[in-house]
Amino acid sequence: MSAIPVALATATGLGGAGALAALVVPHRARVPLVGALTAGVGAAGAAVGVTALTGTHWSAEFPNVLPLGGTYLAVDALAGWFMTIAGAVVTAVAVYGVGYAAGRPARRPAPECRAPGPGVPGPGVRGLGSRGAQAVLPLFALSLLLVPVAASVSTFLALWEAMALGSLLLVLADHRERPAVRRAGVWYAVMTHLGLVLLLTGFALFAADAGGETFAALRAGAHTLSPGVRGLVFVLVALAFTSKAGAVPLHTWLPRAYPEAPDPVSALMSATMVNLGVYGLVRTGFDLLGGGTAWWWLGVLALGGLSAVYGVLQAAMASDLKRLVAYSSSENMGLVLIGVGASGLFAAHGDRPQAALALAAALLHVVNHSAFKALLFCAAGSVVRATGLRDLDRLGGLRARMPWTAGLFALGALGAVALPPGNGFVSEWLLLQSLIHGLRVPGVAVAVVLPLSVALVALSAGIAAAAFVKALGVGFFARPRDERAAAAREAPPLMLVGAGLLAVGVVALAVAPGLFADGLGRAVSAATGPTGGGAPRGGGELGVRLADVSARMSPLWVVAALTAATLLAAGLPRLLARRRRRRVHARLWDCGGGAPTPRMAYTATSFAEPLQRVFDDVLAPEQDVDITPVRESAYLVDRVRFQRSVPDRIEHRLYEPVLRGLDRAGRAARRLANGSVHLYLGYGFAGLVVLLLALTTGW
Amino acid sequence: MGLLRKIRATGRVAEPAPPRPEGGVLEKARELGGSAQVRCVDAGSCNGCEIEIAAAFNPLHDAERYGARIVASPRHADVALVTGPVTRNMAEPLRRTVAAMAEPRLVVAVGDCAIDCGEFAGGHGVEGAVADVVPVDLTVPGCPPEPEAIVAALRRVTGR
Ligand code: SF4
Repeated sequence: MSAIPVALATATGLGGAGALAALVVPHRARVPLVGALTAGVGAAGAAVGVTALTGTHWSAEFPNVLPLGGTYLAVDALAGWFMTIAGAVVTAVAVYGVGYAAGRPARRPAPECRAPGPGVPGPGVRGLGSRGAQAVLPLFALSLLLVPVAASVSTFLALWEAMALGSLLLVLADHRERPAVRRAGVWYAVMTHLGLVLLLTGFALFAADAGGETFAALRAGAHTLSPGVRGLVFVLVALAFTSKAGAVPLHTWLPRAYPEAPDPVSALMSATMVNLGVYGLVRTGFDLLGGGTAWWWLGVLALGGLSAVYGVLQAAMASDLKRLVAYSSSENMGLVLIGVGASGLFAAHGDRPQAALALAAALLHVVNHSAFKALLFCAAGSVVRATGLRDLDRLGGLRARMPWTAGLFALGALGAVALPPGNGFVSEWLLLQSLIHGLRVPGVAVAVVLPLSVALVALSAGIAAAAFVKALGVGFFARPRDERAAAAREAPPLMLVGAGLLAVGVVALAVAPGLFADGLGRAVSAATGPTGGGAPRGGGELGVRLADVSARMSPLWVVAALTAATLLAAGLPRLLARRRRRRVHARLWDCGGGAPTPRMAYTATSFAEPLQRVFDDVLAPEQDVDITPVRESAYLVDRVRFQRSVPDRIEHRLYEPVLRGLDRAGRAARRLANGSVHLYLGYGFAGLVVLLLALTTGW
Repeated sequence: MGLLRKIRATGRVAEPAPPRPEGGVLEKARELGGSAQVRCVDAGSCNGCEIEIAAAFNPLHDAERYGARIVASPRHADVALVTGPVTRNMAEPLRRTVAAMAEPRLVVAVGDCAIDCGEFAGGHGVEGAVADVVPVDLTVPGCPPEPEAIVAALRRVTGR
């Protein structure tokens, strides 16, 4: 008997036990117990994933568990890849979450909420620590792990919906404290169900034509579909999955839900749930539909490129710390989609090794993104918990007050900017390699699209650097700009331990990506079939070797060289100076005019301003100057009010007209329902007649 | 290419170097080894002295050929070139500026105002001469002093 079913049963059992424990155990013991059980769910899930990555397959069916279809489960290397990520992140974030939800934080989580009066319990009881939220948490973690296991449409959709509902309930955990949470919850609920409808339609079409709803039947029947239906199925499903991955234009839930969700939940959602969008796309596009034509993947590529640049631009403009990190998810998922799209494009042109390389780059970036994004959200969560502030313009000076958190955030940011020695660099390097070497694939579309994609990847990497320099420099360095930032205290040890686990993952991915190469190769070939030597291999010195394009990289050496150079640059002058002369402590040079105040420090908004000017046409910022003169003379100014915001333009242009139209249609439809019972009976009768007519004419 | 041609066509415009000023190098300035970074501080001057300092560094007088160079921060400077009577508002900033310079540091008081408050002596906003606020190593008299005099003073610092 293989280890997979045992571990799966363990995960399910622990998840159920966690939910039960949350309901019956009193408050004091609830959070640690549920946290431990959730961590267990994660560990068991990761065990399943790792086992699958070593090449073990497992499948099972339980025809009587779900009504109608029954339950079909299967674990292959592709599912294993995503389960390993989800399991590892869940474990670390569960540890973090115990520290987060236990006890009372130094400050209330938001500036606008009321002060804790004597009768108001701390967020240990409300918010994430509440009975309901704690009961949902292990179930949500479990659903994250089980979605890749599903092997039939109904099982998949049921688990998918469980995941969506679980995350929705957790996003709403703080709804009593902040009205903004409710609005974010509505957006998220609507968007995620829009996705579900698309998925349902797409899979129903697919299953009806393929003659079966298990994945095996779909796989076998995919080639019997007409090209038009296949294309339609792909478009519907791809829209739903990219929306879950946070790609434009269906991304609007993401910058709303992530900042308002409790911080461990943001970390879970951004580091594991968005991945499942990619999983779904790869599973359906490559595995179930069996590849497809070039235009599908050109569409995915275009969506990816758009998301990458748009997401990172919005991140660079954001002055809300969590919003910035959230938009960076859009960017990274865009990069992943570029890889997936390029892979599909190569496969459609018949170049399997190249397709495998591009998909490997995309899947590796999924892991890297999960690692650094969970870390960033955990560190950001520690900041929000310690200060109650999310606004970068008011933060600052946290490096001295929260040194560990600052270090962890810096590590995550290094990964996010895709520069060596960060972990994001490895996968972006691989992605660029695959795009550049993809030019040997013939075709006009390839020749036009690939150089553009390379440019987009490079552009997004550059802007990401600006965004994270801003987050780190303005948020953690300089001086505190608000007394709440000045009074910040370091996060409790359990939160640091949880984030530290993620940091270990980030470092491992940055230094020794070769360790993951074998599993990655299996996951890629599970999706695309035999890879023909295109997937990266683990090199001798923990590096990555691309056999097919004969490129290699050893991040370990890059890290070693950079560390040595930094130490040399920092240490040598000190050594020399110590030998020659004693040190003098002098006053900070302040231009002779007195100490600078925190108000003089660079803010996030001013840091982003030059970039905003460059991209003025894309971002379309709204600016408003309001000058009030004194009463006696129009030339003397009494007050100047300056206001500027950078709205989400896609939302502005695409969503608002649709919402307005819906609103109008709703108002118009009200006239149909005027309260008269006779009219309603007439509707029922008319409906019946139309139905019968349709049936008799044999439609 | 236009710039290079212009340079070649114009040639040297700097006056031939006058003989070394008497008095020789200041003892304190020997350690500078012939290169002095200069920070100008306007402690309340009428700007006449500033114009002459600018002239001392123009292509004609070219103080840089003797090793003196204007810098933008006292942290980089060896020499503070102070002009004007020290006003009340500038007294503390002047003290801080000199304190911000690394040792060995020199203060050169340029113009009559800097030496004894000149025209502005007894003004209600005047704190005193430069020497009343920070120790002065060298003075350049004149109202305003000629660029040649300023260059000569700087040559006594650089020793070239
Ligand atoms: S010395 Fe003369 S030129 Fe210089 S600041 Fe005084 S008044 Fe002006």
